[in-house]
Amino acid sequence: MATPTTNYFRITLLRSAIGLPKRTSGVLAALGLHKRLRTVYHPVTQTVAGQVFAVKELVDVQEVDRALSKQEMKGLRQPEKGYFVETKAGAVGRENA
Amino acid sequence: MLSLNLKRALLESRLPVPPTFLLPWAASLTTVSHTTGAGNVPPPLLNTVQQVSAEEQAAGSVTRKAQTPKPKRVDPTTTLARSATVAGTERPTTPSTLFSSPVAPLSESVRDLLPLLQAQGSHYITAHIHDRPYLITQGDTVRLPFFMKDAEPGDVLRLNKATNIGSRDYTLKASAPAPKLKSATTTTRMVLDPTTGSLESHSRVMPATSLDSNTAGASAAMAVAPHFIPHIAKGKVSYLDERLFVCRAVVMGMESEPMRMKEKTKRRNRKIKTVRSKHRYTVLKIKEVRIRGVEEIEGGGELA
Repeated sequence: MATPTTNYFRITLLRSAIGLPKRTSGVLAALGLHKRLRTVYHPVTQTVAGQVFAVKELVDVQEVDRALSKQEMKGLRQPEKGYFVETKAGAVGRENA
Repeated sequence: MLSLNLKRALLESRLPVPPTFLLPWAASLTTVSHTTGAGNVPPPLLNTVQQVSAEEQAAGSVTRKAQTPKPKRVDPTTTLARSATVAGTERPTTPSTLFSSPVAPLSESVRDLLPLLQAQGSHYITAHIHDRPYLITQGDTVRLPFFMKDAEPGDVLRLNKATNIGSRDYTLKASAPAPKLKSATTTTRMVLDPTTGSLESHSRVMPATSLDSNTAGASAAMAVAPHFIPHIAKGKVSYLDERLFVCRAVVMGMESEPMRMKEKTKRRNRKIKTVRSKHRYTVLKIKEVRIRGVEEIEGGGELA
């Protein structure tokens, strides 16, 4: 198949910018990366590509075609519940065990 | 409270989250194998999935087979001494039925040994609630280390995530989880750049991922992930087929700890702030731990 139509950069901050020039941490703040291991999605443009290039040693980048929202990312972090409520207390037709 | 309702609304609004296996980097992180044939994946994500398939296979992570062997190990103390490892098949359990593969039949060996396990008197099960294991049997009272907000006293819960079911002589275990991928950045090495004449320059060299070379020993024991995998990918457990067992628990009620006071203050500061804690815990009573018969499983009935 053809190469996927990539629309977004998926950028994760792996190294901290402590001790680096303020310009570097400024770039990270512009990207929205304020803490290590945070992930942000940005559209693939020359601007963003240049920003990534400025902090390329600190960051892991991947091209994806779908940007996840914060809620979606949180949903992926949550473990499976492992249970579900089969019958509520006092429900009609509850099995007698 | 208002904040709680907002949080609930937000969480409910995330319902259209795609199944984990459809997302690019998370595709290899599922606990259950899925088949992603061309017909299963929606067009917008088709390309992404295929891109990941190539990365996956290259990186040596979990392969998307429809059937993964599920060994059923016999306890060494048994006098029967059946040491053959049994391979079971996993039914893909997807959150969205649209992408689920057809139900896989049980393997021969599971069909042979499951009746033996079932025939023995008492069984135990390692059920996982929020990925935390609880080794339980029928009649146990379990005080969970948290308060279950969605269950009221008297509700009957069905526990459907388990890793082990056993009796005195037999144990049914889930298949081994996908091998942990090593993050590429942890194995970065500093090397001297030979192209410049100076000894002062360095360049960071990432280890050769399987994308470049398929040498078996290159990536050492663990395959290296092509990209950074966030922490959610680690420590994943693989579960047993849900069809094989029935585990029910009744919510007995709620317990709470004695009130705890924590005083917070700083040196040479007379103001003392007191924080009160009184955590609540849900108490369950396990009312049923049962292994289904082969006919019951293959019959496909969802009863009991």
